Parts: sequence; C-alpha cells; structure tokens
Amino acid sequence: MEIRSAAAQGLASCHLCGKVSPVALGTCPRCHRALHLRKPRSLERTWCFLLAAIALYFPANLMPIMVVGGIGGPESDTIMSGVVNFWRKGDLLVAAIIFAASILIPILKMLALIWLCLAASGRTHASPKNLARLYHLTELVGRWSMVDVFVVAILVALVQVGALSTVLPGPAILSFAAVVVLTMFAAMSFDPRLLWDRHTGADLSDTHE
Amino acid sequence: MKRHLPALSWPRLDDAPIQVACPFCDALQEAPRLPEGDAAHCCRCGEMLYQNRPRSLARATAFSSAALIFMVLVHLFPSITVTAGSVRRELTILEAAAAMYREGNPLVALGAVFFTVIAPLILVGGLLYVAAPLRFGIALPGAKSVTRWFQLCEPWSMLEVFLLGILVALLKLGAVGEIHLGVGLWALAGLVFCTAAAMAGIDRLELWDRLEIALHKKS
Repeated sequence: MEIRSAAAQGLASCHLCGKVSPVALGTCPRCHRALHLRKPRSLERTWCFLLAAIALYFPANLMPIMVVGGIGGPESDTIMSGVVNFWRKGDLLVAAIIFAASILIPILKMLALIWLCLAASGRTHASPKNLARLYHLTELVGRWSMVDVFVVAILVALVQVGALSTVLPGPAILSFAAVVVLTMFAAMSFDPRLLWDRHTGADLSDTHE
Repeated sequence: MKRHLPALSWPRLDDAPIQVACPFCDALQEAPRLPEGDAAHCCRCGEMLYQNRPRSLARATAFSSAALIFMVLVHLFPSITVTAGSVRRELTILEAAAAMYREGNPLVALGAVFFTVIAPLILVGGLLYVAAPLRFGIALPGAKSVTRWFQLCEPWSMLEVFLLGILVALLKLGAVGEIHLGVGLWALAGLVFCTAAAMAGIDRLELWDRLEIALHKKS
C-alpha cells in the first residue's frame, strides 16, 4: 500500500480537534478554527523564539539567581555556583536534579531544536523517526526547567526569618524564566511534519500559508 | 446514524471509518474502530493516533472533580510551615508568588500564578465543564471554546514542576528552623495525580466526536 500524506490530497487535519477536512474550506467544519496544511511559518517562528532564548540564556547563567543574606553579609548564587555548593556539601541528588533541570535540559533542548530546524530545511540528514523521537523528548522535558524558578520563589517566601537570614531573587530569575517559556514556544511552533515532507521529497513550499 | 456498537469505539456522527492524518508525519490513513483499551498507531511513523480509553467520560469527570477539591485544599492550607523562634512562615502557592512580587519581580510572580493557579484551574475546570454534561449527551453553552481553552492551557499547567520545586526547596532549606509539612503538600500531590489521570482519561478525538454529536442534537 502506498502511503500518501494528507497534504498531497489537499486535506488538512485541524490543529485543535484533529478532524481531517479539505484545506479549501478555510475553517474546520467541526470547531471553526482556521485550517492549515502545516503550521504557518513554522521554521521562521521557531528560529525567532530560539534566538531569543539563546540570547537570554547568557544573563540567566551569568547573573546571580538568588541572593542569600546572612551573618557574613549577602552572598549571591548563580545557577552553577548553587550546583557546586550542593555537590561540596554532599547533596549529590539535589545537585544532579538542579544541574539537569537548569543547565543540561535548556542547552540540550536548544541544540535539539537547532538540529531539528536544520533537518527540516534540508541541511542535515537523519532518519525522521529518530528526529521525531528527539522532538518528543524536547516537548516532554522542557517544562521541568521551570523548577529553579519555583525553588527560588518558595525560598523567598519561606526564608525571611528576622535579620538572621534572608533570600532575595536575583536578576537572573526573569531571564531564566523567559528562556524556559521561549523554548516551550519554539517547540510548539515547530511542525514535525516538515521532517517527513523533507524525507519523502514532497514540496509544499507554495502551500505553507 | 449514532449507533453505538457495544465496547467498540465511541459513538460518532457517521459510521464511516475514522480518517486520520498523523500529527507527526501527516500520513493519511483509515483507522479502525477499536475495542476499549486499544490504541491505533500510525502506519508510517508508529506515532499513537488515538486510543479508546475505557470509561473515558466517567474517568475524566471523576478525576477532574477530585482535582478541583484538592485545588481548594491546596490554596487553603500551607504546604510547608517554618518556625524559627517567634517567627512563623507558611507557604502556599499564592504566598510564593506574592513574595516574588514584593521582592521586585512582578513578571515572574505573574508567570508563577499563571503556571500554577490559572492554567491548572482552566484545565481541570474546563474538562469538568465539558465532560460531565457530555455523559448525558449534553453540551453546555460555550463547550467548544472551553475545550479549546483547556487544550491550549495543558502544556502550561506546571503543578508537578512546582511539587518538585517544593521538594528541592525542602532539601535546600536545611537549618533555618523547625519545618512542618502540612495538608497543602499532600493535597498538592493529590492534585497533580488527579490532573494527570483526568487528562489521560479521554482522547482528544473522542472528546471532539462526542461533542460534535451533542452539538448536532441541539441544533
């Protein structure tokens, strides 16, 4: 049996409800959302979100994410120095969680999306099945990076005990949260069907709108 | 017609085989109707297309109403209480966001409120609003846009991440004072579980097929 893509027959599946209908209708007959063969301007949008995320990744890691005020004066922690502190204290598990969620996942996610974008525009070659697996992973794992933002918020709320010690959010927290949100947007605007289009040689360049 | 074959797929507006395009590779295929508990996979890339979940509407209704009850508890009772001398600090989700706001990060505070309060509420409340009346074949006014909203909110609901955040913060707190875990923490764990179970209860295609029938009956 020959497998054909829906787009080749002018059929589009609705982004919202999944119903397959002719793209010529313009809107989905079931849920009335606009129909597209592919997510509109998928690659351009993904690149934009990605570049913004990469730019913000530097302040997020270089500036302090948390300022701890104690008896010895205020002490500021970047994400990396926080991980190192835990490692030195012997809390290997916490160090591993924070390192994975705040450093490893954002970097790997951005690299994965860059690779996916390059593959979708035909500049690298890999089997679309593996690429789809990679895409799944980036979607699944991305939100967990937000854990550092929540940790800081929780500590700020809890540790305000008199003059003994205080925890204040550092300037990096906003850019870090922005990196997470932007990479999530980037992953959402990427259309994995482009990988298969490239693989099967289908040319939909004039129908992407 | 809206004939419902017992234990074979969910009712649909017409009896034709389900025509689906794989969301990952766009392969167009006619997919079979399934016995309860089975899933259909794409013939080209192997991605799961849809699943006929057993007792889907009952599960979605039950778990989302349980999640709403847990949500009330989460906001009423603190998850962690820290006591140091005469000073006492209680942590709720809103308190964490308020602390961020006070310390000069209104944007992060807004984001935290959206990810941990608003998005989960829309997700769970929206699912209940749509799924509960659908059990009796009724679609309440605005069911279509409510479904759209809770589907959009799904990736932004980050309660499970917040729960992990509480655990990491507990390990980080160390010796600031006496730490008590409260009802709020257990309620939060329950909320995370029930939200996940409610969302896993019903397939997107099934929900829309049932919604379509209910709306068709009305008009």
